[in-house]
Amino acid sequence: MKLLLAGTCTALVLGFAAPATAQTWQVDMAHSSLAFTNTYQDVEYTGRFRRFDARIAYDPGDLAKAKFDVTVDIGSLDTRNEERDHTALGGDFFDAAKFPKAYFATTTFRKDADGKVVALGELKLRGVVKPVQLTVTFTPHGDTATLDVTARLQRLDFGIGTGQWADPSMIGNDVTVHGHLQLHAKPQ
Amino acid sequence: MPLRSTEAGWGALVRAFHWLVAALILAQAAIGLSMIQMGVTPAKVRVFALHKSIGMTILALVLLRIAWRLGERRPDDPAGMPRWQRGAARAVHLALYVLILAIPLSGWWFNSASNAPLVWFGLFDIPSLTGGYDPVWKPRALLAHQTLFWILVALLVAHVGAALWHHFGQRDEVLRRMVLGPRPRNGEGR
Repeated sequence: MKLLLAGTCTALVLGFAAPATAQTWQVDMAHSSLAFTNTYQDVEYTGRFRRFDARIAYDPGDLAKAKFDVTVDIGSLDTRNEERDHTALGGDFFDAAKFPKAYFATTTFRKDADGKVVALGELKLRGVVKPVQLTVTFTPHGDTATLDVTARLQRLDFGIGTGQWADPSMIGNDVTVHGHLQLHAKPQ
Repeated sequence: MPLRSTEAGWGALVRAFHWLVAALILAQAAIGLSMIQMGVTPAKVRVFALHKSIGMTILALVLLRIAWRLGERRPDDPAGMPRWQRGAARAVHLALYVLILAIPLSGWWFNSASNAPLVWFGLFDIPSLTGGYDPVWKPRALLAHQTLFWILVALLVAHVGAALWHHFGQRDEVLRRMVLGPRPRNGEGR
């Protein structure tokens, strides 16, 4: 009897409880950040983009319907160093006047054998489109959730600081991007 | 060649500190004044890094120099030197010590408040004095660094002028004993 009841419940959950689209979430910008770490003269520093827009549809039980769609306001760069920010936004680096936004959209999600979720997507930055992988850590707390994503990029892939600035001992080529989003469930 | 100073002249270590720091200060002035004219290029970043490394070297040398001086006597002033001249010389020397400590410190402070890296000749990190970007202290530290530099320039004119006056005007030992050390006494030979 117990077994039958459990089976019925499972069937109900699988068959009827899953929404037609993945849960969509509202980002609480006051408690969210989009940051990166890089090295300058071999010293690690952290920068962040203070303005970005993230549309998040995510249900850990239904990765096929998950979707992240992010637009970043390049001009909102802040590395806690005015001179560096000014140079970074100029033509040798982000060229914010010509490329004011960066875009990232996921294409597919997959779950690795160790349970880690990886999102595959494309980043358009400084007019260059490249595939990017995010590792995804989603932690639900009832109607809210935190979403942490990490990606590793190479700045030179996107033409950021080429030519005389290409030397990685001056500015590291590897950039680790870390997004931390505080989410509130949108009513379905 | 005595390491320690005597009543007749400065010891080898004091002279080494004096001329080494003097040469580094001249280099710093030349680098500092030219680097601020440069456009933003990797070369500018490297020249700034060099200026910072030399500045921290001066700070360390001056601290060692002061520590050594505290355990030494100073040579006697030339006989018959008027009281006001002794007082003026002591005041300028004291002010020079204060400045050659305060100028690198204010540079370190400005660099810290700017949240810029500080790696001594590419070898090791020197910690920040402000714990990161500080927009309030940043302009004050820069103003201090620049103002103190120009005060140093003015005092160096007085210091160098006085040394030359002692040597060519008074024909005394003051400059000579900072260059060559104490003149050997009779019988010691050279």
